[in-house]
Amino acid sequence: MSSSAIAGTRPTQVRVYSLLLVLSGVFMALLGWSASAYYVPAMCLGLLALLLWSGRGGATFKWVLVANQVAGLVLILALWLGDRIGLGHAKLDVSGVALLVNLLCGGPLAAILGGLMLPGLRSGRRLFTWFSARPA
Amino acid sequence: MNHRYVSLPVLAVFAAVGIASQARAASFSGTVTLPGGRPAFGVMLSVSNADHTQTQTVYTASDGSYAIVTPYAGSLVLRARLANYDDATTTVDAGRETVSQADLRLEEFADAQGASDALSASAHNAVLPWKRADDRHVFVSQCNYCHQIGNSTTRAPRSHDLWLATINKMEGYLSMVTRAQGIRFASAMEQGFDGKPVKATHDYSPTDELARAKVEEWQIGDGFSFIHDMDVAEDGKFYGTDEGHDKLWVLDPATGGIESFDLPKSDLPRGGLFSGMHLAIGIFTGNHGPHSMAQTKDGRIWITNALSSTLMSFDPATKQFETYAVPGDALYPHTVRVDGNDTVWFTIVASNQIGRFDPKTKQMTVMRLPSNGFFRWVSDMLFPTLTRISSWFPDKVLLLDFSHHRFLGYTVLAFPYGIDVNPKDGSVWYAKLYANRIGRIDPSTLAITEYETPLSGPRRPRFDANGIFWIPSFDEGALMRFDPATAKFESYKVPGVAPGEYETPYALNVYWPTGEVWMAANNSDRILRFSPATKTFRSYPSPTRVTFLRDFSFTKDGRVCSSQSNLPAYAIEGGVPSYLCIDPTGGERDRAALVAAAPPQGPAPAAH
Repeated sequence: MSSSAIAGTRPTQVRVYSLLLVLSGVFMALLGWSASAYYVPAMCLGLLALLLWSGRGGATFKWVLVANQVAGLVLILALWLGDRIGLGHAKLDVSGVALLVNLLCGGPLAAILGGLMLPGLRSGRRLFTWFSARPA
Repeated sequence: MNHRYVSLPVLAVFAAVGIASQARAASFSGTVTLPGGRPAFGVMLSVSNADHTQTQTVYTASDGSYAIVTPYAGSLVLRARLANYDDATTTVDAGRETVSQADLRLEEFADAQGASDALSASAHNAVLPWKRADDRHVFVSQCNYCHQIGNSTTRAPRSHDLWLATINKMEGYLSMVTRAQGIRFASAMEQGFDGKPVKATHDYSPTDELARAKVEEWQIGDGFSFIHDMDVAEDGKFYGTDEGHDKLWVLDPATGGIESFDLPKSDLPRGGLFSGMHLAIGIFTGNHGPHSMAQTKDGRIWITNALSSTLMSFDPATKQFETYAVPGDALYPHTVRVDGNDTVWFTIVASNQIGRFDPKTKQMTVMRLPSNGFFRWVSDMLFPTLTRISSWFPDKVLLLDFSHHRFLGYTVLAFPYGIDVNPKDGSVWYAKLYANRIGRIDPSTLAITEYETPLSGPRRPRFDANGIFWIPSFDEGALMRFDPATAKFESYKVPGVAPGEYETPYALNVYWPTGEVWMAANNSDRILRFSPATKTFRSYPSPTRVTFLRDFSFTKDGRVCSSQSNLPAYAIEGGVPSYLCIDPTGGERDRAALVAAAPPQGPAPAAH
């Protein structure tokens, strides 16, 4: 299949999410000019946009988003409940690792978009079909 | 210069007028004149001891006269200093029981560079060319934060790249500017601090009241000491927390004797919880970072350790320390006060919290303060985590790569800073330096009520005896008065020493017997005294250039004292920090003593 043919069949959902991922990546890159750690989620968002646009690496795409969600959840729970459940000094170690993993996997904007995209990556749904139609 | 010695009969008069405590003293009197021979008013006439570790200063009266009684002897340096004139100095070999006359004449500066070099930092930073109106505001808040900028150390000409590197280093000390502001600040300082002489005429507005005063200074520590706060304890000794060396410096002002006590070691690395920042480099060699002090009725002195997030007690009787961990993710315990029940209260700036400790039950409570907005809430949640991440990579200052202050500015933090107890109802009040709020904590229910301040940068406030809350506005160079009964503010602008110059009042304290407010004026080397009755400020020029004072404390005899706390200390004139006290009537007493002792007769040629 030629690239123009792929473009012609690319679902609207893929186009919209790819655009949002690119815009998020650009926004993170702008923040990175001031605080360079934000270049990391910017690059990850760019990679996610590329994967989604090309329809390749569906498993990678999915698990990056899952890792982002899990890390974000751990971060929130550690900060919220860390003192109550007796994490002590380990609380900030746990939240620190979770924050780094979250940023490595796209950061907070990827978490928001991931929350919207992950349901579509389940078997039979549109994004799953889009990735399944192409070689890994 | 001419000086003569008073005969033994005159010394007998000394004893008769009841200055027994100063009987073994070298005393001086004379006049100071301006170049045309006119009397010089408000001149600081300083006498240093032989090894230059202690200095006493009086101010000349409107007729140019002065009189000073010192405890020193030997080869003593006398220096006359007045704004806009070159220093006049002379050395006198003075015996312990002599009264010497020394007349000094001030001269104009030999060149423009000399005149410029003698100006306080306020003249030099006033010429910085700001392209955006709000840049100066941020500059005042973040670049005057813990030192002068514009003094001889900080105004050295640098290239844009070197200024950027300097600003980046300062960010490692938690100066919180955005990257864009840093670049603009570098441009302003590259252009403004060009090494060319600055012209300004400074007016410290001498008054007859000034001529009644006397200043005493005792050098403490070394050029890398960072004696953040100094407190006068019940035993009359001066205690100072050396945040750079994890030491407590104790001065007995009666004898001049100095002791130091090392804080007990902790398991934390150098720099404590902030080991990931630049704090460990150069100045900070410890890991506790003792910061502020308050004393309970049992005599114990309570110290907030900023870098280790601990509260520590020091018993002056046993010389023993006790350490109490501040639980949770508390970061940077700051100012500490004790209420009427001997409960210890302290602010925790970087995590937006207040700590409460009961020494009797050893129960510690940490309460989170209102975040005041989404981005500050994010800071409250994540700042301790980012500091921990930074500590995994010592000295790399990774916090700067993550923190949203790098694009949103310092106001993403609330920074509860100063704290005090209302004597009327025992409520505890704090000031949020970056969120521009003050707050009240009900000591029984711990309920919190906050008020926005009309001016920004409320720093270290104090109550007067009537329950009026006095708050310095650091960012806007003013004094705020808040009446908790009516919830009304009044503001008083601090007069600069020249048009276009600003002031940075860091801290204040209220002398309860008179209700007067003593306040730091760290940009122009002076201390301010505000009279609520007349709503006017009086200036007390500091004898030491690069005067940067923090907390104020009073002795039982009414002296107001503080510590020279510019960071780094080696930038202070003389190269080391000191304890400083102003005795509002000490000069008057010296004058009376020498008048009673019969002044020396005969003319004396002036010298300079």
